[in-house]
Amino acid sequence: MRLETVLPSELLVVWKRKGVIWPRYAKLSSDNLEAASGLIEVYKRHIGEKKGVLKEFVSELEDKGYDYRFVRGLSFLLDRRSVFKCSDKVDPIELRRKIYEATEKLGLPTTSEQRNRIIETVALEQKLTPEMVEGFFYADLGSELILEKFDVLPSHELLEEYNLSLTQTLLFGATELNFTASGNWQRIFYAIKRLGLIYEASRDGRFDVKIDGPASLFKLTRRYGTAMAKLLPVVIANPEWTVEAKILWEYTNEICDFKIESWRHRAILKKPQLPTVSYDSSVEEDFAQRFQALKSGWLLKREPDPILAGKQVIIPDFSLDREGITVYIEVVGFWTVEYLMRKIEKLKKVNVNMLVIVNEGLACGKLADLERHPQLNIIYYRDRVPLPPILRHLEEAFRRVQAKQEDLLVGLPMIFTEPVVNYEEFAARIGVSVEAVRKALTEKAPTGYTVMGNCLVRKDKLEQIRKKIEEQTSRTGRLPLFVAVKIVETEGLEDAYGTIETLGYKIFWHGISTEKAEVIKPENKNM
Amino acid sequence: MIHLWFDKGTLLLKGEIGTPYGKWDPRVGCYRIKAMHYDDVLTYLEESRISYQDEVQKLPPLEPLKCSVALRPYQKEALTKWRHARMRGVLVLPTAAGKTYIALKAISLLKLQTLIVVPTLDLIDQWRKRVMECLNVEAGAVGGGENTVRMVTVSTYDSAYLQAELLGNKFMFIVFDEVHHLASPSYMQIAEMYIAPYRMGLTATYERSDERHALLPQLVGDLVYTVNVEELAGKHLSPYAYEKIYVKLTPKEQQTYDNQMAVFKSYLQEKGIVLKSAEDFQKFIMITGRDRRAREALLARNRALKVALNSDAKLSLLANQLEAHKDKRTLIFTLHNDLVYAISRKFLIPAVTYQTPKEERREILENFRSGKYGVIVTSQVLDEGVDVPEASVGFILSGTGSTREYVQRLGRLLRKVEGKQARLVEIVSKETAEVTISRRRRQKRTNEA
Repeated sequence: MRLETVLPSELLVVWKRKGVIWPRYAKLSSDNLEAASGLIEVYKRHIGEKKGVLKEFVSELEDKGYDYRFVRGLSFLLDRRSVFKCSDKVDPIELRRKIYEATEKLGLPTTSEQRNRIIETVALEQKLTPEMVEGFFYADLGSELILEKFDVLPSHELLEEYNLSLTQTLLFGATELNFTASGNWQRIFYAIKRLGLIYEASRDGRFDVKIDGPASLFKLTRRYGTAMAKLLPVVIANPEWTVEAKILWEYTNEICDFKIESWRHRAILKKPQLPTVSYDSSVEEDFAQRFQALKSGWLLKREPDPILAGKQVIIPDFSLDREGITVYIEVVGFWTVEYLMRKIEKLKKVNVNMLVIVNEGLACGKLADLERHPQLNIIYYRDRVPLPPILRHLEEAFRRVQAKQEDLLVGLPMIFTEPVVNYEEFAARIGVSVEAVRKALTEKAPTGYTVMGNCLVRKDKLEQIRKKIEEQTSRTGRLPLFVAVKIVETEGLEDAYGTIETLGYKIFWHGISTEKAEVIKPENKNM
Repeated sequence: MIHLWFDKGTLLLKGEIGTPYGKWDPRVGCYRIKAMHYDDVLTYLEESRISYQDEVQKLPPLEPLKCSVALRPYQKEALTKWRHARMRGVLVLPTAAGKTYIALKAISLLKLQTLIVVPTLDLIDQWRKRVMECLNVEAGAVGGGENTVRMVTVSTYDSAYLQAELLGNKFMFIVFDEVHHLASPSYMQIAEMYIAPYRMGLTATYERSDERHALLPQLVGDLVYTVNVEELAGKHLSPYAYEKIYVKLTPKEQQTYDNQMAVFKSYLQEKGIVLKSAEDFQKFIMITGRDRRAREALLARNRALKVALNSDAKLSLLANQLEAHKDKRTLIFTLHNDLVYAISRKFLIPAVTYQTPKEERREILENFRSGKYGVIVTSQVLDEGVDVPEASVGFILSGTGSTREYVQRLGRLLRKVEGKQARLVEIVSKETAEVTISRRRRQKRTNEA
């Protein structure tokens, strides 16, 4: 999050109208692309030449109809991709010292003869020619430096980088920032905290965050603009975002609105490269790997979406999901009792199931103090996060929710009309777990329905299927299994074998191949 | 129980009461108070007999001081005035009148953690040296790559501003050198975000052209003492002579000047633009971003002024003058770096600009002080603060119209040395806009200094 590629404010170009401000972005038009590639070309051609000479060519481009701030802005960004070096043959500082000393000894030169004498004396002493002494006198001065290396980039990327820099420079003057983003929250909030900013979050359909700083309470201040500019890349590294800001425009001392949105501006802004998400600690990584290997039926997610607690957010390390039930996990390394207390305070505001995994060895407070807080589900660990207590907690949470749902289902009048009631679909429809539905429906099947594997089947439907199979078996008393399965599946039932057997038929396996298996009509057709 | 603590340049107060200084912050559910009101809040709580727990201060350890400063009568008077104003306030003294010593004496009286805020890195060096000499304690420094906080710490305005969140609760006394800087919109936050109840501002030029010095009383304290150059010249400051020498541009220079100025003036006339104030000029600069002709006009004006400011005629006159003052310690001031380097190359003398590497700059100044180098040429970087007691001749080859710049440049020559007669010479191109610029800078001099 360094700002070395952000333009100095004198190169900021804006449009401002009726209290709205926006940077004069460089469209990726053929004109602008031409200017960009022209400049890149100038840099490429001047490798090995003086910076002063290079800059003369740059200023020539300024006079070709482009805004000089645009050209200088691009050139500023290209300077950051360049390595300017002083020739290492002579150390100019050392050379100057010798010259000044010679001047003191021989007297300040007021004629060119006197001056030449000093230069020659130094040249002789340093084993250089007088021309070299002149040449190296200020060889370390900005304009005298030699362009040694230049990191070429495509012209459209230069324009995109320019546009991002313009945006950040404008944000230097921001008094307030509002944004929403499609993800990356843990990183965003970490950056907010590290930059000394204050946020207020709200959720109204989308998740909105308002940013300012501690002293913003007293007056509008640009103080936090730099921090906001540093935050921008983390926000817009997401695929979807909206960023709004209040800009205090110093020249006219007015507050202007600024807004950019991903669908409009993504294409012209450089997409910031953030390092890939790494785990905060190896403990977390180890836990995630072992937990996933268990295939427990719980879906583990890193950096879940934030949980809103008042205007603050909680971003747990992990979320575990199973059939609509979510349990959050936070792994705490270094901690104090006060820290965990604050966590409890925050958690009290929200109704979530949070499991805090605490490093026993790194405790710096009395553990006993915590035991009195039943809101906090704490599991201690030493080297590795223990899985059994977590699984127990998950099971318990699952069972608890399930029991609640079963109670709910018992109270529900179960009246169905459709021929097949699939547990999974039904559970999803009423928002409870499949297990709860299975339990409720198996124990007390609604009248007129038969339990059949993962679903209920209306009895007349079952009768229909039986008739179809009977028709086929009436002649020989047997039927290839695959034909029977087809009949059942055509009627929309999933568990074909189960249905066939429920109807009183028997399956005979002649070897392991399903092709040879047969369905046999039993002698007594009792259901 | 009321809890009071420091939060990123502000104070937070948690408890069942508010204070006249606090404001409810709904973002965190506490009262938030400007750090500068720290002392006021404590006084309020105590007078209201409210018990509180104060976790604000995070002070570096105290170190023993040994003060070896003897103040001159006017310095003593200044210090007394400041003490009578509850150890808050601004002292206005001409450069070279020994402001530093008043501050050092104040530190030795208070014996509290002190931050000294200065405008430049050179001044950090200088103050640290002084602290060592006069208080016999090593000073910490924040700025220029260094970051050590000690009982006495010196910082630049920039670092004090940028690190207010970290440094705001580490000092009880704060000294603002060249305090007129403090009134700018950003630097004033230093005053607001630090808890230090005791404050001292020092300057030779209290007034600002933007009138913002009106903010200083609430930030640092009232203007408690003023003394001007005339009152001290001779006895405590070196007597000085001022001289203006006009040079004529060479015919070729004059032609270029006239042509370029004509381009500028005809554009203004055509558009009916009048440039009277700095604000007018700022607006004009904004137009140059949109209007190519305006930009061409501006560039023409800059070229014309550059010819006038950097005229060859000036350099030949300078050569004569240098010849005449051969063994005097001499400073040459210019506006642009180009001219600094041109002079450095022509006369083979050391140059100090903002581009000069830090180590080389230290070395040059040290050698100038010790007398190893007799003449140095500099742009605006040395206007403020750097002490060269022996410098006795100054040449102003070009400058802005700012009175402050003039006073400060003059101040470089006024440090009292027995028998020294300071001489400030301005070299101005005749029949150019430079004549007006030069007049402007000396206009308000007497009532300011």
